[in-house]
Amino acid sequence: MRAITAELSKLFSLLSVWVALAIGMIVPTAIAALNSVSTRKEIALGDHTAVGIDMGYQELAFGVIGAIIIGVVAISHEYFAESGESGGGRQITTSLIAIPSRLRFLFAKATAVAMVSAVLASAAAIATMAAIRIVLGEHAPEIGSEDVPRLAGIVCYWVLTALLAFGITVLTRHGIVPLAILIVNTSVVTVTYLLTRLTSLAYYFPDMAGIRMFIRNLEDSTVEIAPLVGGLVMTAWVAALLIIAAIVFCRRDA
Amino acid sequence: MLTIHRLVKRRGSRTILSGISFQARSGRVTGFLGPNGAGKSSTLRILLGLDSATSGEALINGVPYARLRNPLATVGALLDGSGAHRARTGRAHLNWIARSAGLPRSRVDEVLAIVGLTDAASQRVGSYSLGMGRRLGLAAALLGDPEVLILDEPVNGLDPEGIRWIRTLVRERAATGRTVLLSSHLMGELAETVDDVIVINQGRIVADGTLAEVIDGHGTLENAFFALTTPNGGRVAQ
Repeated sequence: MRAITAELSKLFSLLSVWVALAIGMIVPTAIAALNSVSTRKEIALGDHTAVGIDMGYQELAFGVIGAIIIGVVAISHEYFAESGESGGGRQITTSLIAIPSRLRFLFAKATAVAMVSAVLASAAAIATMAAIRIVLGEHAPEIGSEDVPRLAGIVCYWVLTALLAFGITVLTRHGIVPLAILIVNTSVVTVTYLLTRLTSLAYYFPDMAGIRMFIRNLEDSTVEIAPLVGGLVMTAWVAALLIIAAIVFCRRDA
Repeated sequence: MLTIHRLVKRRGSRTILSGISFQARSGRVTGFLGPNGAGKSSTLRILLGLDSATSGEALINGVPYARLRNPLATVGALLDGSGAHRARTGRAHLNWIARSAGLPRSRVDEVLAIVGLTDAASQRVGSYSLGMGRRLGLAAALLGDPEVLILDEPVNGLDPEGIRWIRTLVRERAATGRTVLLSSHLMGELAETVDDVIVINQGRIVADGTLAEVIDGHGTLENAFFALTTPNGGRVAQ
């Protein structure tokens, strides 16, 4: 428990984590608001099919960038070297002197990342759905009991994506590459999505499987995956990655 | 009490430590000397559980570092630089360490005062000078008021007043029965501070004894050091 509070304290004293929290809140909320404005125009023109089943959820799939940054920074900042002039030290030595058990350290860090991502995802989901409601008013999609598992799916997706980013960064010990790959895949070119054109197996990549937890209408999908199955597939990926990361981290010199 | 027993460290085909053994006793300041690349830092890193040994043991009060119940109350360590991330303030850095060991926040203020960083505590570590970074690292080492201090080049970047302060600090720690192991390149400074001397060269211990024993016949610690670690006894070519 002490180790977890220490890791939470580390996260909240980093500026980049606050930037990640702001991105995670603002990006999906702002995109949802903009999309709602154009939807409202279409409704005004008489198109009542404009309100899609995935409204808000698509935007939240995109806002996961905030969770990715938290997962990466949590571990990459440990390995950031001081300038040679100031001795070239790295915080990881201080961390492992304070918490010598590598497994306990990694578990505390992953738990802190998961906790912060879960809170961020919940707050972002509330803000995004509220933005749609404010812009569309009575035309906003109803949020009913069938949305509860979907919203829980958003939280799981953000937490699992943050842990995926975390696990990759434990292996690379450097933030730039995992950050670039994961953010580009989420926003600019979804490589994993393009791969589904080549093979339907690509639907089982962690991100493609994970979005099934809350996206109901995946464009030209040729494979149906139930929300629970999608979540389990993503969980299996993340669990496997974290196990590999833990083995490497425990065996490697700090 | 620190015990290094037949410690071997290999990296690939390179042998960093070839079976070294020595002790640092409680109530004494032990100086750990050696040229760059002799294996000092590797020894200290293995002692702190940061690097693994190929074989042999490095024990603190009879147990490996990773098995200590309360590591920060047992060992305080200063390695390279400040050991802090540059984006955090000095106080925030000490706060997370204190949390990890269940120490009260008031202890953070105490160690900040001990190392003279109270006024700079809310500045980011990135803005610290080398000397301030070392003081922050020392503050972290002192947080748990440990029985053992392990300091790698502690006076690096410190001004004369800071160097004297370190000397007084480690002498006081030893006087109360605690163990201090410190490495340094500054022979004159070490000769003023230590009781015992260990000299390491190319991964082997080449001298181990009290200060007087190691100096014996060489006049000064510096002469002894060069006689032990260089083929020509450190004579500068004319």
